[in-house]
Amino acid sequence: MIRRLLIANRGEIALRVVRACRELGVESVAVFSEADAFAPHVAAADRAVAIGPAPAAESYLAIPRIIEAARASGADAIHPGYGFLSEAASFADACAAAGLIFVGPPAAVLARLGSKIEARRVAAGAGVPIVPGETPVDQSNAGIRQAITRVGLPALIKASAGGGGRGMRIVRDTADVDAFIDAARRESTAAFGDGTLYIERLIEDARHVEIQVFADRHGHAVHLFERECSIQRRHQKVIEESPSPAMTEALRARMTAAAIAVARAAEYRNAGTIEFLLSGHEFHFLEVNTRLQVEHPVTEQVTGLDLVRAQLLVASGEPLPWTQDRILQRGHAIEARIYAEDPEQAFLPQAGPLLLYREPRMPGVRIDSGVVEGGAVSVYYDPLIAKVIATAETRGLATAKLVAALRDFPVLGLRTNIPYLLQILTHPQFARGAMDTGFLDREGATLVHAAGDEIPAHVRAAIAVASRQSPVPSQQSSILNRGARESWDPWGR
Amino acid sequence: MPAGDGVYRVEVDGRMETVYVAGPPHDRWVFWNGHIYRGDFRESGPSPRRTERTTGSQTLTAPMPATVVTIHVKPGDRVVKGQVVMLLEAMKMELPLRAPGDAVVAAVHCREGQLVKADTPLVDLN
Repeated sequence: MIRRLLIANRGEIALRVVRACRELGVESVAVFSEADAFAPHVAAADRAVAIGPAPAAESYLAIPRIIEAARASGADAIHPGYGFLSEAASFADACAAAGLIFVGPPAAVLARLGSKIEARRVAAGAGVPIVPGETPVDQSNAGIRQAITRVGLPALIKASAGGGGRGMRIVRDTADVDAFIDAARRESTAAFGDGTLYIERLIEDARHVEIQVFADRHGHAVHLFERECSIQRRHQKVIEESPSPAMTEALRARMTAAAIAVARAAEYRNAGTIEFLLSGHEFHFLEVNTRLQVEHPVTEQVTGLDLVRAQLLVASGEPLPWTQDRILQRGHAIEARIYAEDPEQAFLPQAGPLLLYREPRMPGVRIDSGVVEGGAVSVYYDPLIAKVIATAETRGLATAKLVAALRDFPVLGLRTNIPYLLQILTHPQFARGAMDTGFLDREGATLVHAAGDEIPAHVRAAIAVASRQSPVPSQQSSILNRGARESWDPWGR
Repeated sequence: MPAGDGVYRVEVDGRMETVYVAGPPHDRWVFWNGHIYRGDFRESGPSPRRTERTTGSQTLTAPMPATVVTIHVKPGDRVVKGQVVMLLEAMKMELPLRAPGDAVVAAVHCREGQLVKADTPLVDLN
């Protein structure tokens, strides 16, 4: 069993792994950049190692520095979390070369599934339907144009190494196709160092439904049911849930069987997610996420299983702690991601101090977060502040619980998407479960809380009371306050 | 009433609401029921007339709809800067009205127990 685990990540996922370590009696080692010296994940871990300057390329993405931190701290394994190096075959290779256990699939699997083109080949080989498409051998604009013609419009230009919507373009009209090809190639080369493109038929009005899978080296492969992640803004998931409102028993049986088939064909190990596009009762393989997902708590809540614990066991070479017939899906769980972003300013990421940050405490509400009051959100990393996961008997009750939790979750000092999340969760179409991946982009502005809303009188009253009290106990604010108080008025403001 | 660091419990139509307030007065962050407000609330809405003067004659007004609880002064009284001239109550919160500078009370325009609207003149100072 792993004895001392280095966590090559930060924020809420680093804290999530630290907690799993504590429960298992595994020592945890945090790594941190100069921007994160006082971050909660550093304080929570048993040990912490500084790995470099604030920019991720010089710290959380710097493979030699992380391997060196593992060596210096005597760690025998590395958990990559999600993002950063979690899907980098070169990182898994470096771990193996240093004699460290990489908590994830082997490097060869990462490399194979990391190529979207190769992943499609694996799925097709396993008899799983893939989105109609083509990878032009001729990668010139002419070659790609011909592939688009053969696949048919509307089409998607996608990057083989892509992810998160980068290097992706929708083509509805052949007129402007060259500009799109150039842009996709540029973006993909810049983001992933690989400009290889392929063409897929654009399936519109589809849902994003994914299957959580888990496999060990002893020949076991299981699924942990589905998650519905159709509520996305520009390919970034915002709200996830399980079960999917579109799921039937028959469809679930077909989709989970397909997911297991892909996992087996890829010789998959550890936790992974097989993503599908679902329209009606037809589904098509999209890609494999070769890591723990941001939205994994949704699955943990409906199955009652601990995915991180299982990751550590499987990485240690032990068999999966569950058999398929003992994995059950019970009740309904919904997760909302709280981001430091301003919906009223085109979702611009926000940095700033957390002047006031109070997580709600309610039965059935789980909060995975990586910040504390008095801390700050920096410009350097992902703007995810917290995930709020509500669990109840039914979808309606889970939604109501999540709404109540978000209405009682003050985050002050920087803009967040909390009002936007509430608009989505109280939208009649969401309540009916009638959503597809185009929902947010289509609804767009109607979900964004209008600026300059009338402030209720009782809110004004509270502000007035706050104003006659002593300055807020933040150092910066006290200084500002003193200046403001020079001009005196009857209300002590 | 204040209910902890930055937390205010306010009564609205017999129902208690929780409002969170943070930040300096000129840049307030406020959270209520999933709504976020930000700004300098010293000058907007039904608030008292702002004045930079701390001496000379001026009128103190109600910052919002409120009940006059107690009046501590009568015409002719001398008041010093910061002295509470009357106590108002709005939404179960007490709001002391203070003298902005040393002055003499010229007139009192309200009585105890009276309900006053926002911006109602309450006291003239000279």
